[in-house]
Amino acid sequence: MAGQSGSQLSLFTPDEVEFMAEDELVEIVPNLRMDSLNFICGDYGPFYPQIAIQVPLWLALALKKRGKCTIRPPQWMSIDNLTQVLEGERESHAFQSLPFHYVEISRLLFDHARDDIPEIYMARSLVEDIRDVRFHKVETNLENFTASAVTWKNMAAMEVNIIRAFSGRALQAFYRHENEQLIPDLDRTQDRQPQNLNDRPRRNLRPR
Amino acid sequence: MKIRTLKLREAHKPSAAYGAANGSSFCSILWDQQARHLVTASSSDSGISIHDALLPSTTPKILRHHRDGVTALALSPNSTCLASGSIDNSVKLYKFPGGEFETNITRFTLPIRALAFNQSGSMLAAAGDDDGIKLINTVDGSIARVLKGHKGSVTGLAFDPMGEYLASIDSMGTVLFWELQSGTILHTLKGVAPNTGLDTSLVNILSWSPDGEMLAVPGLRNDVVMYDRDTAEKVFTLRGDHLLPLCFLSWSPNGKYMATSSLDRQVLIWDVLKKQDIDRQKFEDRICCMAWKPVGNTLAVVDVSGKYGLWESVVPSSMKSPTEDIPQSSKKSNGLLLFEEEGQEPCSSGSLGDNGEDSIGESGPPSRKRIRKRSEFDEDRSTENTIDDYGLLPQRMAPKRAREQLDKGANEELRSTAISVRSKMQEAFQPGVTPVQPGKRRFLCYNMLGTITTMEYDGYSHIEIDFHDTSRGPRVPAMTDHFGFTMACLNENGSVFANPCKGDKNMSTLMYRPFSSWANNSEWYMRFEGEEVKVVALGVHWVAAITSLNYLRIFTDGGLQKHILSLDGPAVTASGSKNRLAVVTHASNCLPSNDQVLEFHVFDIRNGTRPSRGRLPLSPGSHLIWFGFSEEGLLSSYDSKGVLRVYTSQYGGSWLPLFSANKTKKSDENYWVVGLNASKLFCIVCKSPEVFPQVMPKPILTLLDLSSPLASSDLGADVLENEFILNNLHLFQIQKRIEESSSDGRDTTELDDEAFSTEAAQDRCILRLIASCCNSDKLVRATELVKLLTLEKSMKGAIKLVTALKLPNLADRFNNILEERMLNETKDMSEAAGVAVNQGSGLGRNGTSSEVSSEPSCIPSSSTTLSAPHFVKKVVNRGAQKGRSDHNQTAREVQPEAATSGGSAELRTTAAAGNQETSRTSNPFLKSSSNHEGAAKEAMCQRPPSNPFKKSVK
Repeated sequence: MAGQSGSQLSLFTPDEVEFMAEDELVEIVPNLRMDSLNFICGDYGPFYPQIAIQVPLWLALALKKRGKCTIRPPQWMSIDNLTQVLEGERESHAFQSLPFHYVEISRLLFDHARDDIPEIYMARSLVEDIRDVRFHKVETNLENFTASAVTWKNMAAMEVNIIRAFSGRALQAFYRHENEQLIPDLDRTQDRQPQNLNDRPRRNLRPR
Repeated sequence: MKIRTLKLREAHKPSAAYGAANGSSFCSILWDQQARHLVTASSSDSGISIHDALLPSTTPKILRHHRDGVTALALSPNSTCLASGSIDNSVKLYKFPGGEFETNITRFTLPIRALAFNQSGSMLAAAGDDDGIKLINTVDGSIARVLKGHKGSVTGLAFDPMGEYLASIDSMGTVLFWELQSGTILHTLKGVAPNTGLDTSLVNILSWSPDGEMLAVPGLRNDVVMYDRDTAEKVFTLRGDHLLPLCFLSWSPNGKYMATSSLDRQVLIWDVLKKQDIDRQKFEDRICCMAWKPVGNTLAVVDVSGKYGLWESVVPSSMKSPTEDIPQSSKKSNGLLLFEEEGQEPCSSGSLGDNGEDSIGESGPPSRKRIRKRSEFDEDRSTENTIDDYGLLPQRMAPKRAREQLDKGANEELRSTAISVRSKMQEAFQPGVTPVQPGKRRFLCYNMLGTITTMEYDGYSHIEIDFHDTSRGPRVPAMTDHFGFTMACLNENGSVFANPCKGDKNMSTLMYRPFSSWANNSEWYMRFEGEEVKVVALGVHWVAAITSLNYLRIFTDGGLQKHILSLDGPAVTASGSKNRLAVVTHASNCLPSNDQVLEFHVFDIRNGTRPSRGRLPLSPGSHLIWFGFSEEGLLSSYDSKGVLRVYTSQYGGSWLPLFSANKTKKSDENYWVVGLNASKLFCIVCKSPEVFPQVMPKPILTLLDLSSPLASSDLGADVLENEFILNNLHLFQIQKRIEESSSDGRDTTELDDEAFSTEAAQDRCILRLIASCCNSDKLVRATELVKLLTLEKSMKGAIKLVTALKLPNLADRFNNILEERMLNETKDMSEAAGVAVNQGSGLGRNGTSSEVSSEPSCIPSSSTTLSAPHFVKKVVNRGAQKGRSDHNQTAREVQPEAATSGGSAELRTTAAAGNQETSRTSNPFLKSSSNHEGAAKEAMCQRPPSNPFKKSVK
């Protein structure tokens, strides 16, 4: 089975996925007055003390580290909501709706904005529980992976990342078996491609 | 209607052991006051379950003290005491939420069917298959009264929220109204509710509306019948899609909605005012009890098999939340507003839907007035006291009197604040202060700059000063305060504190503490003998304190006592900004309608003048809760009805309402104002019922758009109309500032630029308004709007717009207006040309400042002539005789340029063009002065034909 740690099987490393998640917007409450910041990804600001504003997660974390803001945990990270989601996750077969990058966002916030999250231990254990339940679900889903239509709604980035390479190749395999005579040499080319992707030189992202 | 399924989870197993009739049993459910816990019980289970509402998956706490099924539950209004009644004939009290068993408060000879607490929690009514309703003092367990009159078993009890009546219903469908004071039956309504017979899982219930004006009782025709509180006459019925008789009903906390369940297994949600059902849900089993969540839009239901569930977002989000306006509804009918807010409209007994409130002792005068006026409140209290004094209370009450008096003492405090706020002249207050809360830090001052917070300990307080902008504001060490300061004010340079006097020893003291000073020990104290500081204010280099002797004392920041003035009346509040101090005083006693009569004075401390004074308007029946200056220095006030007013010199000085909380208010939010600027209001949003913020967690400011309370126009362009008004105001302010600074001889270039850009913005707004006027066929209005346009370009844009919209008639009119304006200009031109000739080349040399400063004086408030300056400039350089032809040329040149873009896009381009023009014309004199000196003739000759405007400027 595609293990959670099988980074060689997945397309991106968890670090890379986290990097992508840093573009998500979060709300911060700055404690300084600062003019607009103009970035390639857009303009943010101007910042006024005690007035909430949306910025990308990376900027929020950068400001937070300098003690220039507090991060307002997103709505879905409330204990209420997480409890509800966990319950739903446990009770139903489907994935509950959570932000695409919930694993990464919650991790970054738990690591860097500890003092801004009310009841952080509770929230953290709930998120971890949710993640475990969902990863387990992903794995069980993979067990009954068939060539027929596969619809998994609400999967998050990390979860997709785990099964991306596997499911792609599995589908190709199914396809190949069905149309063996039509495309005899497909497997070689198809096989090589993900291999190439996986073998590309990886740049280690600078840890935060 | 949408069909949903609600997942129910099992709380109580229906077991045969307790003889549940055909597998169904009567189950009860209720919320505690903060909606943290849900309590359920079943008549086939001896255990009471306390569920954690936040974590429904955790196993509930189960209380097993009864020996048989639990038929009734009730929670005291402050959620500290749980009562349960059982088939084993006993009524037990528990601590809540701990669940420790406290006492068997009473015993019957037959099973209990109904329980209800009154609003203060001092009295419990219990009834069942026995023939009397027992009223029990919860304090000592003594039985205050037994009310006998029902023939069948009593299944429903409800204390009237105003504390005068108790309503009860029995299984035969008879409703009785009891007067609590005398214990007599006021009204008997025989057989108005269905006869439930012997099935104990089906009970008749009844419930007062939260405002106490109506009693809801299930009717005989599968409907709900409302009875009048005093006359017991039928008011109206809610009839709809219930196919079988009702088995439960529950009012939403604000009384706007009602949930009813019926034997047909449906639950319907009603909009009570419209008498219409708005939602429904079908369940697998009959729902025998429901409870609205006291905070939020959720209904807890439990069915006869002991399964319970939460129906989230019961009321559609498009409608008012079921918890909105709770205080409002109660305000109408009783004076105990604050008290009730404390009690927070508890669903005190889910099984009974009771919202009972007052104890007998507090029930007020025996007369049954429909609505007690607030102004009579004082009187009420005194009558009440006399009742106590003369021992008119039933003798049986005696043992609990002492304790009740204690309770009352506590309430009195709350009430007295309520009174001072309501029927008396309002007390002095400091803007940005929050009330004392024991054991909690509170704000002494909250403004746009920072906060001063205090926390009281034994004999001293701990004061902290924080600036919002941590990078810029000075760091101020925390201080220990032995005076007990209750007033404070903060600005960039320092902070001022004051305390009221407490007895002879503790005199009222004023303290000023600068944040940075070149000298050591520069903080100072002032003590006041026989005088008490009421309000303090702070400005640049001055400190003001207003005292109980109505003195306005002004000190310098070094502590010099500079001025002492006598004010006209007792102070309400004061606020300072730079060199201006604004003071609000009472002008006279309250009006009978409860309106405060306030006056404001603005003092200029530096110059020792009083620039303005006048009445301070408030919404009817409200009081002032915030007062201060906007970022731009405009005086502003905010009253308890949520209306923000800004003082302008328009119409000789008047207050404009610029924000109304009612218009923008989302459900259950209160706005605590901190400040405002030209277009936004800065406030802290507090979730109702809270009206002020807590220090922790640090509150954040929310920006709300200012908006005039416009009437709903047939135009449907509220946003534009609002923008129009705000722009007008803004423009007016700028022009006033230009006038002021030009009379002071200061440079106004920057202000001019601002004025031009605002004018351009206003023109853009007007053009869009014209477009929407044309679309909705309001041609006269469009013509009026055209006359308000400032820039010539915008007028042409308007003409093109109406041409594109195929309104030739209107286009003609617009053209006429334009021509008329140009004619006027020609006249002006000829005059101006004379001036130009006279002054000759001197114009250029005179330089920027003189020329520009003379310009604003040409800008009168009527905007028809506002455009004159541009043309004057043109004319000055060109000479009168050429002016006319040149205009025509301009018109011709502009037309093709803009004609390329058509339709609505045209709008934007013209607007943009207008903008461009302003930026160009905004600093014409800089150019003229730098390029050449006094070469007016030269300028005429070099005339690049491509852009007449640019050229005209040179």
